[in-house]
Order: sequence, then C-alpha cells, then structure tokens
Amino acid sequence: MARALTVPIARASPNITLIVWGGLTLLGTLLLSWARIGRDLFAFVPGSIGLQLLRESPVMSGITAVAALVVLTGALQRPESQRGRIALWLGAAGCALSVFYLVSSGQPFGPAAIVAALGFLAIMGTGLALSGTLRTDAFLATSILWVGAFVLAFILFPLWAVLKASVVVKGQLSLAAVTSVLKSPAFFLLNNPASSRNEAAIAAALGLVTAAVVGIVWLAHRRGWRALRAAAVAGVGIWVLAALYLGFGALRNSVLLAIVVGVVATALGFVFALLSERSNLRTRSLLGPLSILPIITPPFVLGLALIYMFGRRGFVTNGLLGLSTGIFFGPLGVAIAQILAYAPIAYLVLQGVVQAMDAAMEEAAETLGASRWHILRTVIWPLARPGIANAFLLVAIESLADFGNPIIVGGGVPFLATEVFFAIIGRFNPSEAAVYGVVLLAMTLSIFLVQRYWIGRRFYVTVTGKPSGAQHRPLPPALDYAASGVFLAWVVLIVALYGSVFIGSITKLWGFDYALTLQHIKALSPTGWQVFWTTARLSAYAAIPSTILGFLIGYLVTRVEFPGKSALEFGSMLSFAVPGTVMGIGYILAFNQGALLLTGTSLILVLAFVFRNMPVGIRSGIAAILQIDRSLEEASTMLRANSPTTLRRIVMPLARAALLSGLVFAFVRAMTAVSQVIFLITPAHNLATTQILSYVEYGSLGRGAALASLLTLFMIAVILALYAVNRRFDTRTVGKTLMT
Amino acid sequence: MKRVAILAMVVTLAAFGIASAAPAGRVTVLCSPNPAWCDAVKAEFPRATGIAFDFVRLSSGEALARLRAERQNPSFDVWFGGTGDPHIVANEEGLTEFVRPDAWNDVRTELREAVSGPRGPMYIPLYAGILGWAINERLLKEKNLPVPRTWRDLADSRYKGLVAYPNPNTSGTGYTLLATLVQVYGETAAFDLMKRIHRNVAEYSRSGAGPGQLTGRGEIAIGITFVHDAVDQVLQGFPITYNAPSDGTGYEIGGLSLVKATPNRAAALAFINWALTPAAQSLAAERGQSYQIPSNSKTAVPRTAPRFQDFKVIKYDFLKFGSQSVRDGLVKKWTEQVFPLPK
Repeated sequence: MARALTVPIARASPNITLIVWGGLTLLGTLLLSWARIGRDLFAFVPGSIGLQLLRESPVMSGITAVAALVVLTGALQRPESQRGRIALWLGAAGCALSVFYLVSSGQPFGPAAIVAALGFLAIMGTGLALSGTLRTDAFLATSILWVGAFVLAFILFPLWAVLKASVVVKGQLSLAAVTSVLKSPAFFLLNNPASSRNEAAIAAALGLVTAAVVGIVWLAHRRGWRALRAAAVAGVGIWVLAALYLGFGALRNSVLLAIVVGVVATALGFVFALLSERSNLRTRSLLGPLSILPIITPPFVLGLALIYMFGRRGFVTNGLLGLSTGIFFGPLGVAIAQILAYAPIAYLVLQGVVQAMDAAMEEAAETLGASRWHILRTVIWPLARPGIANAFLLVAIESLADFGNPIIVGGGVPFLATEVFFAIIGRFNPSEAAVYGVVLLAMTLSIFLVQRYWIGRRFYVTVTGKPSGAQHRPLPPALDYAASGVFLAWVVLIVALYGSVFIGSITKLWGFDYALTLQHIKALSPTGWQVFWTTARLSAYAAIPSTILGFLIGYLVTRVEFPGKSALEFGSMLSFAVPGTVMGIGYILAFNQGALLLTGTSLILVLAFVFRNMPVGIRSGIAAILQIDRSLEEASTMLRANSPTTLRRIVMPLARAALLSGLVFAFVRAMTAVSQVIFLITPAHNLATTQILSYVEYGSLGRGAALASLLTLFMIAVILALYAVNRRFDTRTVGKTLMT
Repeated sequence: MKRVAILAMVVTLAAFGIASAAPAGRVTVLCSPNPAWCDAVKAEFPRATGIAFDFVRLSSGEALARLRAERQNPSFDVWFGGTGDPHIVANEEGLTEFVRPDAWNDVRTELREAVSGPRGPMYIPLYAGILGWAINERLLKEKNLPVPRTWRDLADSRYKGLVAYPNPNTSGTGYTLLATLVQVYGETAAFDLMKRIHRNVAEYSRSGAGPGQLTGRGEIAIGITFVHDAVDQVLQGFPITYNAPSDGTGYEIGGLSLVKATPNRAAALAFINWALTPAAQSLAAERGQSYQIPSNSKTAVPRTAPRFQDFKVIKYDFLKFGSQSVRDGLVKKWTEQVFPLPK
C-alpha cells in the first residue's frame, strides 16, 4: 500500500492491491459473459465467456495476458515506483484492449466487460499512485479514474451523441436534418403565407425604428460611438422580440414562455425573499412550508390542477364565474402553471442573496439621508442583481426543459420540449430530435453567457467575515403590505390548486358530479400501484450511488489535487445545466445499439437518475466538507489511516447530515423526474410521473389525480421523515439542496 | 484497501443486477387501445395461461416509432390493438409479421379480406371501429349552435375553438381522419377543408381518445374520435352524444401483430391465440371500456357497440392508405401545410 505522504520503501513486499485487482479482472474476464442476448445482463450466453473466446479472439488472449501480468507484477519483489509504472501501462493496455474488443464485436456488453473496465481502471489508478504520478493513494486515484470514466460515459458521451446525430444522417455527414428542422414551420415560421400581413417586414421595421429612436436619444444626451452600439443592441433586441412575437412555432413559443416565466417567477421570488427577510407581517411564516411543495412534486401537477380550477368546466371559471372559456388551454395556461411552480426556485436563490446583504450599507445610505425607496433602488437592487440573474437562469432552463405542462395544458401548441418528444416518440426521427436538442442546448448556454456578461461587469462582496452590528431594515410598510398581498394571492392559488388535485382524486366526475368516490383510488390497481412502487424502488436504487458518487466527487474536488480536476467538476455539473429533454434523447441515441446497448433495461433509468441527480450530492458534499477542518483528516493520515478509512471514520460521520439530506433529495428528485426519463421507460419499468401524464392524456383525470396525490403525499412524508431524523432541518436548506 | 476493492466490485455487480431478467414465460406487449383494456388483459392473460404479461401503452403512431427505434433489439413481442395502417407499415418494413392464429377461420370474413394484400394478410384483425365525433350538445346549446352533420360543417367559423382532433403524427385516429377526408373529398379538397377546420381547432391531442375526453369535460363541443371511444364517455356519465358525418366516414380495423425479431416467439404466439378467443375479446367491453366490434365472429357484439349499418361507412382502402409512402406523405403534408397555420 503506497501512501502519498511517505517516501516509497525501497524493498517492497508483494502488493496486495494489484494482486487482488489483477486477479478479479482475470477471473471476471475468463468466467463471466462478455456479451449478452437482448437486455438481460445476467442471462448466460453460451460461448461468450473469456475461456471460450480465447481460441478465436487474439484480443481476448491479450486481455487475459495483461490481467495475468498484473497479478505477476503485484507479486514481484520490485520497488513500488517501478511496479507502479508497469501497472499503469498494463492497466492502460487492458482498458484499450477491452474497449477495442467490445467495439469490434459490436455485441451488447456483458458483466465481464464491466468487471474488466472497472478492474483495469483500478489497476491504472493503483499504478498512478504507486509510481508517484499522482500525489495521492491508490483508493483516491482509482476513484478519480472511475468517476472520470462514469462522467465520460454517462454525461459527455450522450451529449456527444446528440451533437453527432444532428449532423450525421444515415451514416453520412449532412446538414439535411438541420435545414429541414430550421425550415419546418413547426420549428419557426416568421412570414406566414396564410396571413395578410408581412411579419418579417413588420419586425424589421420595428427594429429599425427602435434603433433610430435609441440612437437619436442617446446622441442628444452624449455623443460618441457608444450611441451606435446602444442603437444596434436595442434594434436587434426589438427585432428579435418582434419576430418571436409575430412568428409561429416551437422556438417562438418556448423562448417567449421562458422569458415570461423567468421574469415573472424571478420577480415573485424576489418579493418572497424580501418578505422572508424583511417583513414585519405574520404571513411570512407560510413561506417555508409552502415554497417547498412545488419543488417536491412534479411541476405538471399544477398544470393538472389548472384544468380543474380554470378549465372550461373549471371550478372557478365555470362553477363560480359561470364562464365558458378555453383560454387557459395553451401558452397562457402553461405560463401560469410554470410561474406558480418555479417561483419557489427563484425565492430560494434570492433568499440567500437578500439575507447575505450587509445591513451596514443600508444604514450608511440612510445616514446619508436616502429614503427607503431610494435605498431599495440604489443599494438592495444592485446587490441583488447577480442573484436575480442566477434565479432567472435557473427558472428559464426549467421552463425550457419542462415537458409535462406543455403536454397537459399546452393545447397541442408546439414547444421545443414537446417537439423533441414527438420527433423521437412519434416519428422516430433521431436526427430531427437531435437538432431540436442542439437548439435547446444552445439556448441554455446562451442564457448562461448572457448571465455571466451581466454579472461579470460588476461584482459586489458585502459579506467580509467581519461582524456587522447593523440590523436589517424592515420593508417600508406600503411595500410590505403590497408584497404580502402578492404572496397571499400565490398562497391561495397554490393551496387551491393542490387541494383540487386531492379533491379531484376522490370526486366522481369533476365539473359534473362532485359526489365523493373511491373509484379512482381503487382503479390504481393493478397498474397504478405497481408503477408507483417501481418508481420508488428505482429511485431508491439510484439515490445511493448518486449520493456516494456526488460525495466522492465533492471530496476529490475540494481535497485532492490532480490534473483535469476542473474538467471533472465541469463535466459532472453539466448534466444539471443541460435540459432533461436533451439528456433524454442523448441516452436514447447513445445507448440504443452496439456494445453499449442499455435502452429497455431498468439499468438505464437508474443511470439516468444517478447522473442527473449527482450534482445535488456534489453540492451538498462540497458544502459539508468545506466546513470540516482539514487538520482532522491530516491527523488521521499521520496515524497511518489510509484514505478510505479517513473518509469512513472522519469525513463521512462529520458530514452525515449532508449525506442524509443528499440521499433524500436524490430520491425525491428521481421520484418526480419527467423530462429525461419519459424517453427511457420500459414495459416492466414505467414511472409514476409518466403514468400520470398518460392517464391525464387519456382523459382519466381522476386516476391521474389519484396517482399525483399519492406521489405528493409520499413526498411530503419523506421530507417529514427527514425532518424527524435531521434535527437541524430548515425548509430553506431543503429547497436549496434540491435545486442548486 | 483489499476489502474496499472487493466491496466495490460486489456493489457494482449488485447495482448492475437491477437489469431484470425476462424469463421465457413472459410476454411483453405494445398496447395501443384504452389503458383500461390493457389493464384488464394484464389481469386476465396470466390467469388463463400462466404466462406473465407486461405492457406499455403507446398510441399506434408512437408504437410504430418504438418498433422502428428497436429494430435491432426489439424489447416487445406483440403489438396489440391500435389502428391498422401503422400495422401495415410495420409489416411492410419487416418489423412485424402476420401469423395465422388458431381462430383465423372465425375472424369475420370482411375484415380478413380488407387487410389482405397480394402477399396475404398484413396483420390479424382484432376489432373494427367507426370514425365519427363526440358532441357536447349542452355546450352547443349554450352557444346557440347547431349540431354538425357533415365534415364540411366543421369549417363553419361559428365553431371556433370548439373542435379537436388527434395529431396524425402520434395518433392512428388522427391519421384515419386524414385518410378518410382524402378518400371522401380527394386530396386537394380534403386539405383545403382541413385548413379551414384548423381555424376552429382548439387542440390537436396526442392520443386518439383525447378529443372525446375533452368533449366529455366540455372543454370543446366537437371531438373527432372513434365512436366507440365516445360510448365510453357516455357510459362514464359525461353528457355527450356521438355520431358520424352523413357524407361518409372511415373506419379502422384494429390490429394484432407478432414482432418479427422477438426472442420470445412461443409466449408471443400463445398470447396472440388467446387474444382472439371470445373470452379474451369480451374483456374489452366488460372491463376495458372499449366498445368496438370484436373481430372473432363467435364473440358476442357488445350491446353498446356502435354498428356499421347505422352509419354511412366508406369503402376504406386499407392497403393504399396503410402503405408507408402514402402515410408518411400525408402526415408530412399535414404537418407542414395545416398544423402551422395561424388561427
């Protein structure tokens, strides 16, 4: 066993680690199946175990020989550094040969391939540590390689598959898919031949007029080149907005939706944040519990509730107001459902920002004679701006990726997320779906860049670590009452909407017959219950690896120095910034054929959950580890504990609370996921969220409501259980861990 | 380290072990009818045969897409139900095949003939259903509007926002409507009519039963759907009626096909044979909320099922409109020329 901090001992005894890994790899290679038939990982495939392949495949002989050499190396009496270099090269050769064998055979991988890949990576890792190439021990070096391989295989490779499929049609490089999508009216149509007006001209004219007006006004104030730039930016901005507004298609609908939802939800979130930190009114105590509700339920539950309350036979629209209107079917309904669902996300981001503002600055402004309104405008607003941009970004990405609400209340209007779905599920046109995916990806990245640009120019630090004696100023009463009013309206809506789902699940026929019944709940058997338990089971399976992996990455990133660290961090967080829909088609495209065939198994669902939710574990892991004094770990190392022992005995117990909540949130997020997994469900492993969507779509609203209520109650119970176990529990931290 | 290494391997293997086995006594089905029917089959088929049953409900257009996606590695054994056209396309593309079930001679002759091409039958008829519409007369009365009689009536601008039909991209019902209009009016006139109806359409639903559901809930007044789906709404207590246009309407012959490359052929054949027995077919109406005409002439026709003699049903050319080129061409034309029009 090598230790990073000790000088390698010259005369070495046999290296147990290498012998064990080499032996495991050898045994796995020889005795387990390299291929499988269809989707069953454990079905024994005659003729596919290494022993039988040795004669026909020289590559297999090579793999076996390499593994045997590793055992030999471990047993040899050589200096550790030399042994390390040999192991490193052997491990690399073994990996290369295994990959070559899998790719050339083209058959779906079997268990032997998994053992060989992990084994050779571990041998490489051990080699890296022994040879001193990485200044760490075998366990951590192996962890780095494993985690890196996972990120490569399950995050970067699917994204690559999307990019590739968008420009490769039937094996040939071609822009046909790109042009056919970009030209398709379902994607974007500006000049509609069926309308009498010329939309393109109107948009261009509006842009030009705006540019001219801005340019003139600017020149009148200050001369100079900046006037030209301002005019150009304003002109292009208005032109784009006008074109979007006048145009037709998925791009237009999704972008406008994301902008509107982003702006309104962020504004609401900011109001809530001010309330929670600065209000004198009692209403603010409702913020914690209610803001968590939309986060722990699938967002489309609100869409479903919207039909109950505001549909043509809605309780409010028809029952109370006697209206007969369908305007809530369509983009308006989707926008309302999303705003209600995502306002808490914005709130949780901004709450921290508002809380962290140093009250001394406001005090200073007040001393200088500024009014409270003036302070809000000139002190609080600029300080909150980076947080606001961040909240907007998160909400806009969620809105772009949301699939459930457009399907439930979208009225058949095209959105990017639904077009991706129809392209792959309805037409099985992978190139078309991939192009839509690339568009979504490009938009997420551009929002991200805009945000960076906006914040990048000015940055404020007000928390300096020095204690500040100043108290937070309360809001001006007028603002306090107005904000509380807005908040109360939101509360009433949220309570009514969730309530209507619960009541809908025990109501005979909403809108016609409000008699109470258990028929919808009874109708959950056999399918509904089975699906619910499958979801819970798979989510639980996924929660453990995503927490452990996330924690491990968090540890590696904060405590270990190695080349490619920032790439690993970026790669592992990428799955979070990418819309789930894009990840979903990535998984379909990457794992649908060849050696990596995984579609149709439950494993792919678990993997999707693991890598989608791993960032939750990383974030909570990093936060917890940073609070642990490094000297504790150093002391443990001094006492000759190796790094797994240190992790197990020192770091993990200290970070137990974070680990536990990470575990629970990985579970919650998996239970409520839709956008990604809707592409991956299989007959034996349907999921609750997609099942609800299918019920609602088939018009079995009652059954959908019953399953949605079950899911919601279950999530509440899980969160309460966490609360019972974890004393230092705070709804805000719950929310933050869930979404950051 | 050694212990950790061994533990790591065990955990990894265990994690990978979640991928579940598909034992021989199990049939995996793409189920395209009403989910209630799929549920009923799931409850009854294992009881009758001892073979386990898994299904995914997908509208027939989606089911076809799934079969295409899994051409190399099919995870389904049988495709149960759904409109016939995509069953024909799947057969043409070599995704599915026709197998002669035990009860073949009991299948209604006219259905057997309608699905037979020069190379023999393209799929096994499972049921027959008539295209029509569900009408919410209460909503029409509130708006003081007449009940429509023909397809052309739907283009009346007074029905703005009150009509729905399924998106032919995903729904076999939607495609049946497309093909019906083309057969009744000719392609040019049919697309002109659809462009005018488009202004009135509130929603293009994903599945074929969607418009009936919307009509039942009173979200819209006229939902184009198979009339047997409307019957389900009526029986559930929704205040609707159903009818078919008097200028002629199409129909579907629901399909049952064996997935060609299935590794589970024996179990699949057992399921297909079972699905054609009168006992299995009567499940549709009894517990599956599905009121089509069953294909087996020995199965009693449900009392509530709409009959062909009550409507003006056209002689629908299944082989022509089921062929891939015609189908893909019409759907593409609709997607580009009708769907994006402003309302």
